[in-house]
Amino acid sequence: MITSSSRLLRRIRLVTWVLIAFLVSAVAIVWMQGHLASEAEAKPYAAPFQLVNQNGETVTEQDVLGKPSAWFYGFTHCPDVCPAALAEMAQVLQELGPDADKLQVFFVSVDPARDTPSLLKDYVAYFDERIVALTGDEPQLRQMTKDRYIHYKKVGDGDAYDMDHTAGIQLVRADGRFFGTMDSHEPPEVRMQKIRRLIGG
Amino acid sequence: MRKLLLSFVVMLPTMGHAHDYTAGDLVINHPKIIETPPGAKVAAGYLSIANKGNEDDRLLAIESTVVPKVELHTSSITDGVARMTPMEGGMALPAGKTTALGDEGTHAMFTNLPQQLKQGEKVEAVLVFEKAGRVPVVFNVEKRSAQKSESHDHE
Repeated sequence: MITSSSRLLRRIRLVTWVLIAFLVSAVAIVWMQGHLASEAEAKPYAAPFQLVNQNGETVTEQDVLGKPSAWFYGFTHCPDVCPAALAEMAQVLQELGPDADKLQVFFVSVDPARDTPSLLKDYVAYFDERIVALTGDEPQLRQMTKDRYIHYKKVGDGDAYDMDHTAGIQLVRADGRFFGTMDSHEPPEVRMQKIRRLIGG
Repeated sequence: MRKLLLSFVVMLPTMGHAHDYTAGDLVINHPKIIETPPGAKVAAGYLSIANKGNEDDRLLAIESTVVPKVELHTSSITDGVARMTPMEGGMALPAGKTTALGDEGTHAMFTNLPQQLKQGEKVEAVLVFEKAGRVPVVFNVEKRSAQKSESHDHE
């Protein structure tokens, strides 16, 4: 009688420990998954991509990571917003002086049908030769921009179409995390302060 | 005096300063186009128009013999997205007011450019008004000013 009740107690204890072990590992797995997912989400610029620069060379996220960067998405058939943003970025590079090599500046054309690498080469060099122009196949651009929360859309048909596109300049840390945005409506001093904080950190 | 006058005339083409045109009650000030990067097929043009009369007028269109097509547009940034829309019916010119292409994202888009437009070049065009009729003007091609964004100076 005594032996059978102690055996039962031992069995209950064992089952309890198994349950506890199971719960602890379940919680740990869920926590780790959530943690890893948020880690990946917080590094949008570490998401893989493959585009082509103005010299026809392949550029991937691996070429970009490791140094802070500034990104603008637009197209060359854009009369005001895009040239203004490129002029701003050229001004930033100029004002940085020797510190300019701590920053990478990218112009991604979301209009690959019209903006070929050779056209982009002359176009960006007009603003600053240090600006890297990127473009690529439509599926590549779609995925790359989606991962980086960039919106673009073709509007109109024939040759005279326009592109709606995200207007701000994205600032990105060396590891691919967002740092902030630059807005064309803010004074040049504010933009420079942001850039200096980005490359200083 | 004549010498002074002559030197003034010689200087004129090199001056990048404001130039204006009068058509009835309208004073058209400083039509300009921002120099384009090589390869660009579009350029942005700006000007301001003071309507000194008592009647409203309207800039319906801009035509040019040099550039195949000129469109009146508004660029807007809504929820962080840049969009360009045609100015339906052109640009209103209320009586007694100065209105500019350059205010609130408005511009003339010169499109299908046959070549790069460089500082110092001039682009002939005709402004078509609802009431003031057709007014020939010259757009001066100028470098982008260093200021944050291009807008028209109301001088």
